[in-house]
Amino acid sequence: MTTLLEVASVSVSFDGFKAINNLSFEIGEAELRAIIGPNGAGKTTFMDIVTGKTRPDEGSITWGERITPLLRMSEAQIARAGIGRKFQRPTVFEDQSVFDNLMIALKNARSPLATLFYHATKDDKAKLAALADEINLSDQLRRKAGELSHGQKQWLEIGMLLAQDPQLLLVDEPAAGMTVAEREHTTDILKEAAKTRAVIVVEHDMEFVRRLDCKVTVLHEGSVLAEGTIDHVTQDQRVVDVYLGR
Amino acid sequence: MEMPVKPPTVQPPPVGFRERSFFARNPSVLIFIGLLAVFTLAVTLMSEALGTGFLSTSFIKTLGKTLCLCLVAIAMDLVWGYCGILSLGHFAFFGLGGYMIGMWLMYERTKTIVTGSLANAELPPTPEEVRDAIGTQIFGVVGGSEIPWVWAFADSLLIQLALVVLVPGLLALVFGWLAFRSRVTGVYLSILTQAMTLALSLYLFQNDSGLRGNNGLSGLQNVPGAENVPQSVISLWFFWASAVVLALCYLLAAWLVSGKFGNIIRGIRDDEARVRFLGYDVEVYKLLVFTLTAVIAGIAGALYYPQAGIINPAEVAPIASIYLAVWVAIGGRGRLYGAVIGAALVSLLSSWFTGGQAPDLPLGFYTVQWVDWWLVLLGFSFVLVTLFAPQGIGGLVDRLVRKASP
Repeated sequence: MTTLLEVASVSVSFDGFKAINNLSFEIGEAELRAIIGPNGAGKTTFMDIVTGKTRPDEGSITWGERITPLLRMSEAQIARAGIGRKFQRPTVFEDQSVFDNLMIALKNARSPLATLFYHATKDDKAKLAALADEINLSDQLRRKAGELSHGQKQWLEIGMLLAQDPQLLLVDEPAAGMTVAEREHTTDILKEAAKTRAVIVVEHDMEFVRRLDCKVTVLHEGSVLAEGTIDHVTQDQRVVDVYLGR
Repeated sequence: MEMPVKPPTVQPPPVGFRERSFFARNPSVLIFIGLLAVFTLAVTLMSEALGTGFLSTSFIKTLGKTLCLCLVAIAMDLVWGYCGILSLGHFAFFGLGGYMIGMWLMYERTKTIVTGSLANAELPPTPEEVRDAIGTQIFGVVGGSEIPWVWAFADSLLIQLALVVLVPGLLALVFGWLAFRSRVTGVYLSILTQAMTLALSLYLFQNDSGLRGNNGLSGLQNVPGAENVPQSVISLWFFWASAVVLALCYLLAAWLVSGKFGNIIRGIRDDEARVRFLGYDVEVYKLLVFTLTAVIAGIAGALYYPQAGIINPAEVAPIASIYLAVWVAIGGRGRLYGAVIGAALVSLLSSWFTGGQAPDLPLGFYTVQWVDWWLVLLGFSFVLVTLFAPQGIGGLVDRLVRKASP
């Protein structure tokens, strides 16, 4: 398995507080990974660093076959390189239709000139229809995203993520606020996506993580505490002490 | 692990995919251009020059100026209503456009006068003598006779017309690049744009700015080369030009916001970070919109000031740009016709109330004189609109249209 993303000895501190402390992490090209950990363990900061929102004080991040350094790239460049991100709170463009939301995300040229003269091709429409089907929103395309239910918004954002066709998906609490049936469907979407690309899921809900059935990384105080199968990490005494036992 | 049951693959095409023409998706464009054409024709037929004379020449100038204000309001709506950049400095660009065309108008007009008066001399005047006489004539009022370097191209209409676009455009490009690159947003950006227009205004107020200090440029209603054409006709020329440019810019703006580009700038307005994480260079988009709207504002100013006849640094004072934001807010942000309605309504009402035509309102114990109280009324309406109709008048129009066609 080739490494897609390698994070090496990264540290960042905010006003003296070490949010990420000498963290190393890697993920392969088609892999599903769950990241768990107590509040303040640095899960969201980790995503911020990988997507270019936060610059680390030390360490390096390399990406892809050509081992591109990510740290000098802007958020938009990183996104174009193939890293997609879903936020904790569903962030979709509420004022625009589901269709337009997906169309904005769909992988195409991103320059102003290209978007000014953009016309949806047959291929684009077919991709979009397939995506809408996958996220159960085929009959909602004309609706404003703001009118969707919370769970549908989460799906829409996952759909926007898939529309970008990224090689790595960073998904922050995808199941938050979902019903049991919705959670199951979300699990399926993520597992399906992980067949062809890398997916990192940050999640609090242990049941959801168990259902993902993948390698788990436990973060604590900004570094990796344990890594392995869900059964392996839940039996680790340190993990029980800092996270599960509470 | 149970897989969800997939719906049958044969489905009617989803509704979001329906292809419709540009005008079908933007019904307001044809309605607007139609109304503008009817209005232009009606005004022409009621003018002193070509019609019944029901409308005075000065009123036609007021109407023409109003069209220019509608134009700059469209620019403001693009940059604020659609892209979410609350610029409180777009009147700086408007004023610069006015100054650029004003320089040519004033220089050429003065040249005509000067050559006329020197023609009686025994020897024909040398070009230097003509130039000196123009300098004395224009800059005597600020105690100079040298023609400053900024007037280098004032004798060329083509170059000054290019500067109408280039000067506001370049200022916006440099200012926007510095501000957006540093990720200055929200109220901080608004304050910066206020500072920009204040700085420009203070600079222009100086006598050695080369643009006649607080005297500004005057006599702009006289078009060089058209000395024998009466003002009643010239006023119509500018009125028509304003109407045509307004129609074209409305069309351009509607096209900009109707496609994917429009979706992205509205996305930037609502959630800038999300757009960035989708891989779009948000700064480039913002800079483009900021600069384009500055250019539109410059063109609007270049059409406005020949109708006003005079431009001075007070025109680019910070308050002017704030009024612009108020018009767009009252008219309704994020809809182009809203901006037009707001600018037309508020600026016409403003000239009615402050022009002394509005009847005083006797309250018994106090008589409300609108010249003094108009601003209070405007401020009060602004608060009411913000509280009770946050979508502005355009929002009310939308609601009526939706009721009419369920």
